[in-house]
Amino acid sequence: MKMMQDKGWKGVWVFGDYRNYFQNRVTLQLISKGKELAAQLGTEVTVLVLGSQVHPYAMEYTAHGADAVMVVDHPSLENYQVETYVRIVSQLVESFKPEIFLAGATAFGREFFPRLAKRLNTGLSADCVALEIDAETGFLIQSTPAFGGELLADILTPKHRPQMATVHPGVFEERSHDPQATARMVYPEVDIHAEERVQLIRSKPDQSPKGGLEEAELVLVGGKGLGSKENFHMLFELARLLGGEVGATRPVILSGWTEESRLLGQTGKSVKPKVLITAGTSGAVQYTTGIQGAETVIAINRDPHAPIFKMADLGLVGDAKTVLSLLLEKLRKRL
Amino acid sequence: MKFRESLVSAHHNYLVNQMLSPGFLLGDLNSKEDFWFLADIVPAGMNEPNIHGRIFDHHGHFVLEMGFNKITENPEGCVIEPLAGGFQIRHAGGEPLLRVHTVVFANGYLTRIQGKLYDPEGKTRVEPLLDGIQVFGKGTLALTRRQLFL
Repeated sequence: MKMMQDKGWKGVWVFGDYRNYFQNRVTLQLISKGKELAAQLGTEVTVLVLGSQVHPYAMEYTAHGADAVMVVDHPSLENYQVETYVRIVSQLVESFKPEIFLAGATAFGREFFPRLAKRLNTGLSADCVALEIDAETGFLIQSTPAFGGELLADILTPKHRPQMATVHPGVFEERSHDPQATARMVYPEVDIHAEERVQLIRSKPDQSPKGGLEEAELVLVGGKGLGSKENFHMLFELARLLGGEVGATRPVILSGWTEESRLLGQTGKSVKPKVLITAGTSGAVQYTTGIQGAETVIAINRDPHAPIFKMADLGLVGDAKTVLSLLLEKLRKRL
Repeated sequence: MKFRESLVSAHHNYLVNQMLSPGFLLGDLNSKEDFWFLADIVPAGMNEPNIHGRIFDHHGHFVLEMGFNKITENPEGCVIEPLAGGFQIRHAGGEPLLRVHTVVFANGYLTRIQGKLYDPEGKTRVEPLLDGIQVFGKGTLALTRRQLFL
């Protein structure tokens, strides 16, 4: 730790991913985790915000615990363009030298951060589910599912800086909003203008509902074990009757049974419902990393040895389609 | 890399020199004769800006003194008018002197000030810059505690 700090690498940075805010709260969660890491390293958390008219976000990040907010605010940054962002942020990193740099494992973070890491010639651990500081070396331990999700790998970046990681939304808890908080504001004089190879012609917001899955108190998840698209769609009827939301595993998405925005797990969303019913899912780590925050998990699977039962609070051994049909029938009569 | 530094409040800020600031003070707050201008810190729970000042025109003639968003001395007969989200002050002839407008965010407030203000020597101390102001001369651009209380 000391060696790298002596070389000028110091501080924890969080990339301010404010698109789809307030639904997407991963930046606030990373600020909270960053505070913990920074306290152990004796440094501070800085949130980096790029865009146009980003004042409200700078204030939000301050309220949620940022020690400093670094802002590059310019009309030409109103629309995200990966080349522009990589060029600007790499200049900032090389100049200010943060030792840790975190971003949400959102669609945005997954595109932007690997390119940035390549530009900076450093490592990146994607889709982390835990971050700790090694007490002896001061290195960031980046835990991420590896080898097809069969195990969790602890990854270190001992020789290059910054230590970069993306983290799933919902893995860490955000701090409460403190209106009394203040933070340092830093306005770097960075070179914004350059000839870009890609020009944005227009952008169109995704019309699908945002935040439903992440905020839902009841989530019903279907896996390939449901057997067909028609069977999977029983979950929507159940969700309507019970007031919940529907999630899906990767094989279901690949089969085209529902839209990708419902994907849960390592490459999808993370949820924290009070109750989660998971039907016809085997329990692969790629999926279960997205449901670790559920208070109560009810699993339905015909295989009594399915890994999903290891994390379930209540397990039902049986054909998922049959169980869901019976449940639906009961509910229709009762409601 | 060069950079500028300020302070940001989670609750309310002013836009000055294209930077957020919880409050700023130009000149000497206790001066009875000289120019001064205070955009004071707005504490959590309150949502109105807190503007005070002793203002002159470009000839160096005293125009008005104000405190807590109200005119307290007014030898030139300026007029203060409420606006949606703020207020503006006009010279007796109608031309605008100062405009104060607060934007409401989901969890906070940003006040933009517009105007051209001078000191007794006719030197520019405040002038418009994009959607805020640029300030000149002696001052504190990021106050850390509230200056005036009712």
